Amino acid sequence: MKIIGILIMALAVLIAVVPIFYNCQHDGKALTLANGMKVPMKCFWTAMAAIATAVPLFGIGLLQMFSRQKETRRALGALGGVLGVMAIALPTVLIGACMHPDASCNLVMKPALIFMGILTLGLGVASMALPQKLAGQPA
Amino acid sequence: MTLVRLTLRNLAGNAFRSWTVFLCALVVAGLTLSATLILRGAESSLRLALKRLGADIVVVPQGAEAKVETALLMGTPATAWMPAGNVGKLATTPGVAVASPQLYLASLSNASCCSASEMFVVALDPANDFTITPWLKQRLGSDLRLGEVVGGARVFTPPGERYIKLYGYHLTLKGNLEPTGTGLDQTMFLTFETAQAVAKGSKTLAEKPLTIPADSVSAILVNVRPEADPRLVARRIKQDLAGVSAIPSLDLFQTFRRQMSGVLRAVIALMGITWALAVGFIALVFSMAANERRREIGVLRALGAPRTYVFQSLLAEAAILALGGGGVGLCLSLLAIYLFRNLLVVSLGIPFLLPSVPSLLLVVSGGLAVALTTVTLAALIPVYRISCQEPALAMRE
Repeated sequence: MKIIGILIMALAVLIAVVPIFYNCQHDGKALTLANGMKVPMKCFWTAMAAIATAVPLFGIGLLQMFSRQKETRRALGALGGVLGVMAIALPTVLIGACMHPDASCNLVMKPALIFMGILTLGLGVASMALPQKLAGQPA
Repeated sequence: MTLVRLTLRNLAGNAFRSWTVFLCALVVAGLTLSATLILRGAESSLRLALKRLGADIVVVPQGAEAKVETALLMGTPATAWMPAGNVGKLATTPGVAVASPQLYLASLSNASCCSASEMFVVALDPANDFTITPWLKQRLGSDLRLGEVVGGARVFTPPGERYIKLYGYHLTLKGNLEPTGTGLDQTMFLTFETAQAVAKGSKTLAEKPLTIPADSVSAILVNVRPEADPRLVARRIKQDLAGVSAIPSLDLFQTFRRQMSGVLRAVIALMGITWALAVGFIALVFSMAANERRREIGVLRALGAPRTYVFQSLLAEAAILALGGGGVGLCLSLLAIYLFRNLLVVSLGIPFLLPSVPSLLLVVSGGLAVALTTVTLAALIPVYRISCQEPALAMRE
């Protein structure tokens, strides 16, 4: 039972998948430039960056499952926590989401990334703080 | 070894049991908090919306009641028309103190001449309006002038622009109202004069002109005299004026209230089932743990630990797991409801407003108490039985 590793991998999958289906580009909306060219809105780039965050997070979850040493588990937990913070920062600080409050990126993608980022951060902290046995790791 | 240390060691010693009880407490507390917050949030949002309307009676054209209620509740644009002459007739109805007409309009859908698509727009008569004008005078020190608007909490000027475009007409946002969690938050308020100017300008500026039928209004908000009964006045209005429906504010949003009471019953049933399942599951887990730990408890008793010490240590395990799981469950559901509150409003079709901090603390304490009671109650019988057994017998079996 390597709960934390499995949960981190599940969150990584959600962080990658949810934004793909809940951005304005997916809803068929795009910005039209003065020359008539259509470009994706910024929530699309947030979704792409979320995939880039999710891939290493999945790897961390996988390594977390098989790590035997306390130090390794702690280091992986810290890295996972940092990636959780990144997932929160993508739609809030780094790239952002669209202005319209009822757009799907604001209704689903942004809150979902913040929620999953906080969960990832919490799991990272838990894997550093929990006793070996409670974290489901071999002693 | 102290009681706390023994308890913590026991918790760490059996990860499966600890996580199971922790998750049960998490689900029970999280579900209780979510259900309470959503239902209370919807109720307080309705109350605020009624307070914001400030009318004792809403008079609408007959047959348009549901449309107008949905517009006020969810911000879905509605148009309904009745003769403007009704305002004068209403003002002379016995018991009526003020009658304030309103026009219900909507911005165009996905048109470049409108900043917001399908926005509900309410035009008021500043001479006798008692909903927004008093607030405006208090907040801004003046009435709305031509080309000025006030928005609900979620109405904003598009970034990088100075005006809100409505049918190509440039409007200045003078301020925003406090959030109510209802459609009023997405509604824009302007004066009759501005509405007529927008309609006039729309013929040349907009993709499609705005039509306001001559001598027509959409709804009339009525305030009754202090000594008058709103229901009786509403009945009299229905008798005196043909083709209108007078809804006392206490009866407003009845369809929604009925829908909410249906949801409430379903939620209570769901919570009851979850609670019973959680109690049963935790009792089973503790019974298994009690059987598994017979010898261990027997040795503890043989070493001189009194019965109460064993009882307390096992109950402390249950309480720590309940408080930990309950606390995490409460935090997660609070966070999820806060983050996804707009999605809740859109997908469930209910108004929603987060409660104030003191009432939130009360609900959170209630959720924690439910988790603690559930786990302690479920663990009580197995814990009592194991702490009562004879040490010699327990070690031999």
